[in-house]
Amino acid sequence: MNQAEPLYELLRSSPAVLEAQGSQSARDGFDLRLAIRAKGMPELARLFKEHGCFLEFITAVDHGESLELIYVFSAWLRPFRVMARCPASLMEPSPSLVEVLAAADWQEREVFDMFGLEFAGHPDLKRILLPEDADFHPLRKDFKPGARHGGDWFEGETA
Amino acid sequence: MLRKTLTDDTFYLNMGPQHPSTHGVLRLLLRLDGERIVECEPVLGYSHRGHEHMAQTKSYLRFMPNPSRMDYLAGLMYNHAYCLALERACGVEAPRRAQYIRLICAELNRIASHLLWFGAYLLDLGGFTPFLYAFDDREDILAILGEVTGSRLTYSYCRFGGVARDLTPAFPQMTRAFIAKLRARLADYDTLVSKNIIFINRTKGIGPISREQARDYALSGPNLRACGIGHDLRRVEPCSVYPDLDFQTVTTNQDAGIGDCYDRYLVRMGEMAQSLDIVEQALELIPEGPIRAKGVPQEPAPPPGDYQFSYESARGLLSIYLVSDGSRVPVRMKWRTPSFSNLSILPLLLPGTLVADTVAILGSLDLVIPEIDR
Repeated sequence: MNQAEPLYELLRSSPAVLEAQGSQSARDGFDLRLAIRAKGMPELARLFKEHGCFLEFITAVDHGESLELIYVFSAWLRPFRVMARCPASLMEPSPSLVEVLAAADWQEREVFDMFGLEFAGHPDLKRILLPEDADFHPLRKDFKPGARHGGDWFEGETA
Repeated sequence: MLRKTLTDDTFYLNMGPQHPSTHGVLRLLLRLDGERIVECEPVLGYSHRGHEHMAQTKSYLRFMPNPSRMDYLAGLMYNHAYCLALERACGVEAPRRAQYIRLICAELNRIASHLLWFGAYLLDLGGFTPFLYAFDDREDILAILGEVTGSRLTYSYCRFGGVARDLTPAFPQMTRAFIAKLRARLADYDTLVSKNIIFINRTKGIGPISREQARDYALSGPNLRACGIGHDLRRVEPCSVYPDLDFQTVTTNQDAGIGDCYDRYLVRMGEMAQSLDIVEQALELIPEGPIRAKGVPQEPAPPPGDYQFSYESARGLLSIYLVSDGSRVPVRMKWRTPSFSNLSILPLLLPGTLVADTVAILGSLDLVIPEIDR
């Protein structure tokens, strides 16, 4: 874990960041974890971009009662991996990062496709992997495969 | 975003989803002005199987055969990455011998993947002979991997905490013979293809990608290294026993910082030679000992929390993001596959080029569609 990274101090003191946490163990893979407000994400993305980082991926996690967006940034030629998380809502779109980073385009489309989360300011937010006419978002916990064909033919394993 | 109504002389052309150069099922919607491309929109999802959904409805162990089905040309690397991600999350370490065996097999798989790309790319560009040579070489690798893993394409050879079985007595000798053979063949390919004037004319200066563009679109793997950035996770964030091995990161164009199709070709050919060195060294260094860790839980269940693991696959940066609630079924498993990001740069590269160059550019990115669609 690289603690001497100058960007870490900038991130810790950024107004968009609510809480910053260093790596908890060698097992989790992140050097820094940030809790942020969704509104602050474009500003943070600009900071990452200015310091030569790239957007590794965007994804979401459905915790059942709440949804969460995960942004992971990485950099070339040095061990560097920062994740930023913010609460997300199906009612309120999160700001899109497409204007800042082109990689966000398809990543946001995938999150929209799989979770139904929308991004305000995305130039062409539509499904990317599922057919255009799909009426479900498969990675949400309330999605039941097979239910639309009239049965619980596949329930999956539970813990 | 394509305009739906056309008022000028342009027209739409569908390339794929069954076009042979799309290697699988990718559809490119091209807007053309004569022979020139004005706009391009890739349409994905024809081989979407819902691997991430499958992951969150079954236990970690039962998901084991899935990763190698995502990128079927580098299946062992996906299998390897999945095991490493799980082991790190659970705090388990495989014995040294098992780590070496996995690494040898993964590097052989990388060579097989690059060889298939080499043959298929030349075939796309109209050269039939290299395809036959490449498949001849690749067949040797499949025989070697078949000898130790028992399968040819979709491997589930790595286990949580080790590998399924030990190397066979024939394995080291088969591999050494293959290394000698491929080294001679790589020299042939260099004279036959790298210096072939038709090939050079079709690829040099075609599809240039600058460093800034590569960063903006999060390009990785050989496509990135062709822009002169020696970013290789085997060196930057070495996992397993990579730190023990001596090899070079292959790059081209450190000065110009712009990589074209020819550079991407050179990087992959260079990587095959480096992988041969890695395999040769690993065969010397491999220790005796057990192949499975002792005291490993039968059902992996990482402690509550989230975990991230990155791996340099044949096509670039593969990331696995796991969210666990402490049970044997993950809450979420995200697979960040390299080809997904590598393809996303295509709408930037194609406008202004000729339709014939589409095949050269698309092929040079080394896409595996089922890996994009998951």
